[in-house]
Amino acid sequence: MIACSNCKHSNMDGALFCAECGSQLTGNSFVTQNITTDRFKDLLDSTGKEEQYQNFNGEDAWGSLHLLDTGHVISLAAKSEFTLGRVSEGQPIMPDIDLSPYQAYAAGVSRLHAVVKRGHHQMTFMDLGSANGSFINGKRLAPNEEKSLSHGDIVSLGKMKIQILLKNA
Amino acid sequence: MLPRKPDHYVALGVFRDATQEEIKRAYLESARRLHPDKNVAAGETELFLAVQEAYEVLSNPKRRSLYDATLPPDITGNLDVKHEIIFSRPSLVNLSEPQLLYVLLEVSSREDPEKLPTPPLNICLIVDRSTSMQGEKLDVAKATAIQLLRSLRQEDTFSLIAFSDKAEVIIPAMDATDKKKQENSIQMMHTTGGTEIYQGLRAGIEEIHRAMTSARVNHMILLTDGQTYGDEQECLALAEEAATQGIGISGMGIGHEWNDIFLDALTSKTGGSSSYISKPKDIQRLLVEKFNALASIYADEVTLEFKEQEHIRINYAFRLQPEGGSISIEPTMRLGPILRDASLQILFEFIIEPAALIEDEIALMNGALKMFIAARSTPVPPIRLKISRRVEKEPSMEAPPVRILSALSRLTLYRMQERARLAADEGRFDAAATHLHNLATHLLSQGENSLAKTVLFEADNLESKRKWSAGESKKDIKYRTRALLMSSTKEKT
Repeated sequence: MIACSNCKHSNMDGALFCAECGSQLTGNSFVTQNITTDRFKDLLDSTGKEEQYQNFNGEDAWGSLHLLDTGHVISLAAKSEFTLGRVSEGQPIMPDIDLSPYQAYAAGVSRLHAVVKRGHHQMTFMDLGSANGSFINGKRLAPNEEKSLSHGDIVSLGKMKIQILLKNA
Repeated sequence: MLPRKPDHYVALGVFRDATQEEIKRAYLESARRLHPDKNVAAGETELFLAVQEAYEVLSNPKRRSLYDATLPPDITGNLDVKHEIIFSRPSLVNLSEPQLLYVLLEVSSREDPEKLPTPPLNICLIVDRSTSMQGEKLDVAKATAIQLLRSLRQEDTFSLIAFSDKAEVIIPAMDATDKKKQENSIQMMHTTGGTEIYQGLRAGIEEIHRAMTSARVNHMILLTDGQTYGDEQECLALAEEAATQGIGISGMGIGHEWNDIFLDALTSKTGGSSSYISKPKDIQRLLVEKFNALASIYADEVTLEFKEQEHIRINYAFRLQPEGGSISIEPTMRLGPILRDASLQILFEFIIEPAALIEDEIALMNGALKMFIAARSTPVPPIRLKISRRVEKEPSMEAPPVRILSALSRLTLYRMQERARLAADEGRFDAAATHLHNLATHLLSQGENSLAKTVLFEADNLESKRKWSAGESKKDIKYRTRALLMSSTKEKT
């Protein structure tokens, strides 16, 4: 059996997509990959497709954010600090990672919601005084207070659940 | 290259090691298709005689072995088409619970599509003329029928049936009267009565028979806007009969009242599929597209005959190309056509029970692919399809092939829609709404925003009002998620 990481439904071994919620499952211990077919198109064009496929968070990425609701994986690379939020019109400060394509508005993500920072074998997380708050593994955080996260922790920005994946965990 | 005279095995469409039982069954099938009582077309009688002679020789073990000694070695196989099989994983795992395996079968022409002749068409358009068709629907249907009539080539034949609770032949097949008269007869069509699809189909088959040859693409297109009453079972039996004779059926439904589940069942019996026409003015575009697709057929009626292996079953089979559609799982599966410029692609989902894993390598399917190449009147040899997988202790870490993932990501959406409908039909509205919410999430992440909006709207409706907002919406969602599947395979061709 393979348990879906999104909805916990038990799927038959060999299943590639969850029969209940449609999220992509994996044959190995890695987490859900991006479901969009655009990505597959890119893969088709490249020759070394298997390597690229396995390399789910890019060469230089030190960690990734796995969006549990949609199955997307966002790599964290090139910088050691990222602000998370959603872009909307007339906004003075833009977040580094725009979550609006993933229904951030409906989930109650603020425009500038939180910040993640690279640490030693870990990641730190801080809520930036968001309207709907942030949670780590279900526990509400006080705003502007830095907390450390381990590989596999689940943070929620409002209702948006994100699993933290660290490369060298 | 001159077509070789088919040997007796090819004439019957069996392998050289066929059992007596297989030979007999193949003979009966060919006889049904080619019997002179049914086939008035010239040339077919000769084919029938070849089949008969083949059967007389091969059904007699003594004569068969004498005949076998005269045959050249069986190394040629099928020179016309090639096939490819892709698996979701390289091996099965030794497990004590059932497991899934996906298999993508692709069959295509070996020849250069540019050089292939276009097959002559034998098409019957069966138009619903019940009172609900009054107005724009029937007007557009008439105009399109006239347009199609004008675009025919000399070698094609076109017949037209109008039906309500009885059928009327508006244009008979092989009609020699001038086109002006035929156009007049089309213009004179008017609406009357209810919808009895069986009447239309039966009259359609009769017209098809008038012009039927193996070299032609023999096909009926049913255009309807209503539910048929009480004759569903007879219709399905008739479709089955049509399929064994080599006649295909496509269905087009207009508006919200027609029964898409029934039309899918009916057409899939022949390897065809149904399509949804939301606005009357789309009738023209879809009918013309359908005609073009039929004119570009390379091999008609590809069938897969197989014996189920013990503890292994095909749970789901779906045609990804040329036209998306579910395939009904039967000992003889009708897969659909190969087009000159588009291969036939079928995705199978196998469920393998632990009891099947008795050897290092297990056979999943042992079958034969058979087909008729349009524009050619002699049969082609069947292709043996043996699918097996090794059983390993550990699961493979290899990523599934991109083509399977890509097809399955879209098929998953289609199946979610099916589940939502099933749940709603059973009165489980909250479950249906959940399925639709999940579906909408994936549609959004794939950038299908307008469809996602429709789906979300219906999810809310099911949740709060315990019903669909309108009869069309569930069809709309179904055919649009199905269309996504087709666009995903087209990107690659």
